[in-house]
Order: sequence, then C-alpha cells, then structure tokens
Amino acid sequence: MIEYLAYLSIMTGIYGILSLSLNLQYGFTGLANFGHVAFFCLGAYTSTLIVVLAKGPFILGLLGGIIAAGLFGWLISIPTANLKEDYWAIVTLAAAEIVRLFFLNEDWIFGKGPYHGGAFGIGGIPRPLQSWFSATTYSFFYLCIVIFFLALTYFVIRLLTNSPFGRVLKAMREGDDLPLAMGKDVRKFRMRAMALGGGMGGLAGSLVAHFWSFIDPYQFMPIETFVVWAMVVVGGKGNNMGALVGAVIIQFFYISTRFLKDFIPIDAQVLASLRMVLIGVLIVLVMLFMKEGLLKEKKRVYQG
Amino acid sequence: MLKVVDVHKSFGGIMALDGVSLDVERGSITGLIGPNGSGKTTLFNIISGYHPKDAGEIYLKGQRIDDLPPDAVARKGVGRTFQISQAPAKMTVLENMLLAPKDQMGEGLWNALFAKKRVLHQERHNVEKAVEFLNSVELIDLRNEYAGNLSGGQKKLLSLGRILMAEPEIILLDEPTAGVNPTLIKSLMRLIDDLRKGGKTFFFVEHNMKVISDICDKVYVLDFGKKIAEGTPREIQENEEVLEAYLSGSSKKWAQKAGIGS
Amino acid sequence: MPVSQVIINSIIRASELSLIALGLTLVYDLLKFANFAHTEYAVVGVYLAFIFNVTLGLNIFTAVLLSAIFTGLIALCIDRMVFRRMRDTGRVILMVTSFGLGIALRNIVRAIWGPTPRGYTIALQKPISFLGIRITPVQIWIIVTAVVFMVAFHLLLHRTKLGKAMRASSDNPALAQASGIATEGVILWVWFIATSFAAVGGILIALETYLLPHMGFAIIIPVFCATILGGIGNPYGAMLGALALGFAENFGLYLDFGNIINLWGFFDLAGEMHIPTGYRDAISFGILIVILLTKPAGILGRRG
Repeated sequence: MIEYLAYLSIMTGIYGILSLSLNLQYGFTGLANFGHVAFFCLGAYTSTLIVVLAKGPFILGLLGGIIAAGLFGWLISIPTANLKEDYWAIVTLAAAEIVRLFFLNEDWIFGKGPYHGGAFGIGGIPRPLQSWFSATTYSFFYLCIVIFFLALTYFVIRLLTNSPFGRVLKAMREGDDLPLAMGKDVRKFRMRAMALGGGMGGLAGSLVAHFWSFIDPYQFMPIETFVVWAMVVVGGKGNNMGALVGAVIIQFFYISTRFLKDFIPIDAQVLASLRMVLIGVLIVLVMLFMKEGLLKEKKRVYQG
Repeated sequence: MLKVVDVHKSFGGIMALDGVSLDVERGSITGLIGPNGSGKTTLFNIISGYHPKDAGEIYLKGQRIDDLPPDAVARKGVGRTFQISQAPAKMTVLENMLLAPKDQMGEGLWNALFAKKRVLHQERHNVEKAVEFLNSVELIDLRNEYAGNLSGGQKKLLSLGRILMAEPEIILLDEPTAGVNPTLIKSLMRLIDDLRKGGKTFFFVEHNMKVISDICDKVYVLDFGKKIAEGTPREIQENEEVLEAYLSGSSKKWAQKAGIGS
Repeated sequence: MPVSQVIINSIIRASELSLIALGLTLVYDLLKFANFAHTEYAVVGVYLAFIFNVTLGLNIFTAVLLSAIFTGLIALCIDRMVFRRMRDTGRVILMVTSFGLGIALRNIVRAIWGPTPRGYTIALQKPISFLGIRITPVQIWIIVTAVVFMVAFHLLLHRTKLGKAMRASSDNPALAQASGIATEGVILWVWFIATSFAAVGGILIALETYLLPHMGFAIIIPVFCATILGGIGNPYGAMLGALALGFAENFGLYLDFGNIINLWGFFDLAGEMHIPTGYRDAISFGILIVILLTKPAGILGRRG
C-alpha cells in the first residue's frame, strides 16, 4: 500500500513538471500548444537512447532528454512563430504525432532484436542506483529524485515569470502589437518559451522512462497532452501553484475512478473510456464556468 | 527628425497612400489631419513598421528605417500609441509601464536566472521612473490595478506614460484625444507641451481641430492618400483646397464644426 | 501499381476528406474558431450509422441519411449547451473546449462499442476492373456521394435564402445582424450542415475500411491540412484542399524518390526510395508546414 502511494506521488510529481511547463507556454505566454506530449516523448526516448545504447549515466540521460526536447520546442517555433493561435494548435498537434510516428516506425535506433523497439517499445531501462536499495525502498528513493526536480522546475519557472522576461511573455498573451511597439522581439521570446517548456517536458519524460524501465510509443498518445491541459486549466492557468494543484486533482481523479471498478461491475476497458469522457467533460465545464481555474493568476505588485 | 519621402501604399486596388512626403522637425509638435480614409493611420502603421510599403523611403535622424519590423523600429527610437489603447488587461498599470524601457537586462534568460541582483537594481530604477510619471498624471493610486479596469481616458494616459518610459526620439500618437473628456484633453495637451519643452518630438493624427490649432507647430493634410496642404494651423484653416476636401457630405459637417473655412 | 490506380485512389481519398473539411471550414468561417471536435462528430455519425444499419438492420442508404440528420441534431444540442454561452469567448478557450468535447465524444463511442473494429452490413464487394484500375462499387459510391453533396452545398450557398444569409453572416456579421438576418439561426444551420456532412464523410471512410473509435483522430491532421491548404474559411478551398491532399498523400507514397533524384543528374546515387506508409500523416504535416510558411492564407484565400 505504502509503495503504491510512493508510485502515485512519483507520477503526480512527474505530471506536475509537465503541468508547470505547459502552464509556462499557455498560461503565461498564451501559446496553445496541443502537442506537449512530444516533449515528454522525446525526453523519454532520448534519455533511453543515451543510457541503454551509449551506456551513459543517468544524469547524462536526463540532460540529453532536456536538450533534445528543448531543441525540438525551439525548432518547432521557428516556422510558426508568427502564426495565429489556431494554426499553432494544429501544427503542434501534428508535430507531436510525427515525433511519435518516428519512434513507432524507426525501430532500428535501439539496436536489433526481436520484440525490441518500434511498436514493441524498449525495456530494461536501468534505474539509477537501483542496486543500492531494496525493491521496496527504491520507490522512495526515486520519489526524492522526482521531488528534487519538481522543486527545481517550480523555482526556475517562478523566477522567470516574476522577472522582466516573464513580463514580456505576459504582454504577448494578449496580442503581438503592443510588445512589438515596446521594441520586444516577440518571435525570440516565443521561441524561448517553447524551448524552456520543451526542456522541462523532456525532463519529465526522462524521469518517467527510468522509473517505468519500459517505454513504447503508445504511452505518448495525444491524450497525454489533453490530460496535462486538464491539469493546467483546472488548477489555474497563469498560476504555478495552480498547475501543481491541477496535477494533484486530476491524478486523484484518475486514481479514484480506478478503484470504482471494485464497486461497480464495469469492464476495465469501458471504465478507461468513461474516465476519459469525464476528463473531456471536465475541461468543457471548466471552460464554461471557471475559465480562470481554481487558483487565479496572482497580481504582480511592486514595492514603492 | 523624421523624414517621409514619396511613400506609396495600395491595398488590393485601393491606393491608400499616393506619394506622400513630409518632415517632422526635432522638438516640434506636428499634426496630421484629413477626412476618414485619407491614409493617416496607414501612414503611421508604415512608419512604425506594422505594414510594409510599396515604395518610398523613411528616415529617422538621417537613418533609413523603412522595411524594418515593428520592434526594430521601436528600438530605433520611434514610439507610438494606438487608436484603440492597447494595454494588456491582465497586467497592472505599473507592469504596463515597466514593459516599455529598452535594454532591460532581466529580459534575457541568463540574466533573469543568474543575475538577479543586477536585474533587481535595474527594476527598482525603472519603478521609480514609472512612479514619477504616474504621480504627475494622478494615476499613482491605480498603479496596482489591472489595466483592463481603467477608463478610456486613463488608458490613454497610461499609453502615453508607457511610451515615454521607452525614451523614444519621436512619439507618434494616433488620435490621442479620441473618446477623452475635455478636461482630460486639456491636461493631456499641457503634458505634451511640457514634454516638448523638454525636447521631445511629437507627431500626431487628430480629428479635434481645436487641439490641432492650440498645440501644433505645423500641420499636414492628407486626402485620398495625397498630401494636399501643409503649414501652420492658421494657414491650414484658411486653405481653399483643404476646405474643398471636406465639402463632401458628412465631411462638410466635420469641417464646419472644426471651424474650417469660416 | 499503374498511375491510373494512384489517381483513382487519390480521388477516393479526396472524396472522403472533402465533406469533412468542408464542414470544418464552415464552422471556422462563421464562429471563428478551429473546432477540434469536428472529426469526432464524424465518428459519432459513423457509429450512429452502425446502429441504423447493423443493429436495426436498415439498408445502408437510409442509415447514412438518418445518421447525418441525427448527428446534426446532436451538434445543435451541444451548441445550445456549450458553445452558445461562449459566443464572445477568445479562440484559444474555444479550441480547448472543443478539445475536451472531442475527447468526451470519442470516448463515449469507445465506451459503448469498444475498441475492436466493426463493419457495416453491405454486399460483398467485388472489384471492377477497367483501364488498368480496380475499383469496388463502394468506392464508386464514395466518389459519387461526395460529388453530390458538394454540388448540393454549392446550390445551397448560391440559390437559397439560407445560403445568402450564410454568406452575409460570414462576410460581415454585424451588418448581417443589423439587416435582420437572424445570425443565431444561421449558426444553428451551419452546425447542422457542417456536422451532418462530417458524418457522411466519416461513413464514407468507414465503408471503405472499418469502424474504429480512433478514426476521428486518425484524420484530424489531414482534414485540418486540407482546410488550411485551400484557405481556411473558404468552402471551395476546402474542397480543393481535400483534392490536393488526396493526390499528395497517394502520390507521395507512390513516387520513387530515388528515381527522381537520379533523374536530376545524381545518376544511380539513390536506390529505390519511398516514403514509408507509416509516415502518411507526415505528408500532410509537411504540406501544412510549407503552406503556413509561404502562404498561410491558403490557395484560394478567404472568400470575399
């Protein structure tokens, strides 16, 4: 039971990082990134590549995941930096699918072998310092790792959003005309927001790959993006604590519906689908009645 | 200060600007008037880089600034306000003011993360400047209020203060008095005059002829994308061609109200 | 495969996409947002037809008609419940809302019918051969249906009062409302037409392949691509875009790029090079990126 709680907390922490990074892009910069899962996917696969194939250490894998995902975020924003939000949404959605398709089709990357790579996924991803801990206590160790990175991400984002950099992002939310008139290179800022958010998404991906010890392209379906959107939207867009709160709420919601199975005689497949229906409905309801989310954006007050 | 040479611009089949040339002298307050659709805002948009032009040249202090993107033009020293005041509603008045200054270290990622002390120092300096202005226009009590909650007139003041924070070489004002009550107009004009005495250059589009005649050193008149007159406000008001331009229908009423040809 | 077959396949694919793209563009034109639930309405239509055709045993033509009507009605209900309250909301929020809606719709279908592929009850398809191509009767019907519906739409737009109202509302909503054209009424009709067309389009795809809850998402990128390619908001653009995309996808997979490279003078440098079928979506995506970079307004641009 305790171990299950540790597992839950780890997943919540990882989703917390995803939620914070999407919040940076949507809540603070107004970028409707519908392809966020691409960062998650790239981080996981890159980290795996580095650790499994090149036999590099965990830290290097993490770094690789962050850089790969950040680079992707940066690249995808180059041709799209001047587009309107709706075009943005479809382009990011498509880009994420292409990334997933790539890993689905290119199974040769991870070496030869039957049931290896592509649709079969990669298994046996080594966990950092696995040998130091017993099977039961390892989860707690990993939880500490996740909490560390979650806190790091939170503080970095908070620092940035309270800085002049964050100020420009917030101005961009409501249209390009004003920040341009203020002499701000809006394109550059958008690309940075995408790279930053991307890198953090990649961090989450690396963390998840080494925890599960197995990844396949079906873990990175577009639905993941929507789940993270639900977290940002419910918790409060433009509010970092809100992003975390949203992650906790949606996770809780997921878990509690899983236990429903024991009380209501529903087939697991159907339950999984119904859970998704509720997530979708939740997003719609929040958009209708609680556009700001639970925790409203904090007003920036200056001394003096 | 600002030199516009033979600028042409057409949208589809419509000739918005047909060879317009004008000069704005340093330290002057220059006005641009004309009936609706004469191309005033188009010219502004072209000067500030929001629209590309078809032909012509634009010089700022002798340097060419045409064909630059809007942010580059702004960085070169051209400040502007918009006809409909742009102020991000979810940012406070003070935040809006702090958006403007150029060369803010904290806007760079590295500095924002690792040079916190120096960034804070610069921020404090900027906050002081902003507070100074807000005090002078009596907006200081609203400094932590969301810009979206301000009245139209207050937004205009904010826009002006904000662009001043950027210390521009020349300030383009797009209908600064539109929708503003008469007492506020008076203080706005006084403010602009004081700033001019301090060496600032203004170029603005206006429909309010009283404002134009009270404060402008020189006025240009556009009609159907062509410059049809230039001179002091007095000269403009007595100009036959200007009167003709306004004699069509609703423009005539406009002209009468403004006292042209009386 | 002879080129003539590729051409036929392109036309079939274009037919399948055209009605759905048309619906998407209509909604975008009138309501000014990209409806990410649009392809899920197609799925709803597909499974409604399943109810009529398989569960209730009606013949396929009746099923298609009934399904189109009911899908339209469902869209009207949803507009009343959700989008009507959001007429003045920003496009990003509308997009996110339509996301959530899409998830809900897709998973309701999935919960009821499960993830296994289904089929309609239609006569066994014997391919007809002529001029070197093979085509089944169903495929001929697909092309015919698409053409009929597109012609019907054209007549609607230009020969009926509703069509006139639609054009007026799209060109200048404020003016339209002021002149007494009931814009709310037009909105309802547009939802009905757009989603019923989507339903028919989806059924056409299902007739050729099979029914899967996932099929809406499988076509979202090509449909958006076709819409943007032709000029978003322009119904004729959507039809043209679908045609262009149908050809692009099929020829993209068919062409031996190795040959083309060799022809350009790099003799025998390249062996046989094909775009792998797994990357079919990448073709739409690639086109999408190119269009957005060069001419975001699309081939035909906005109508009027």
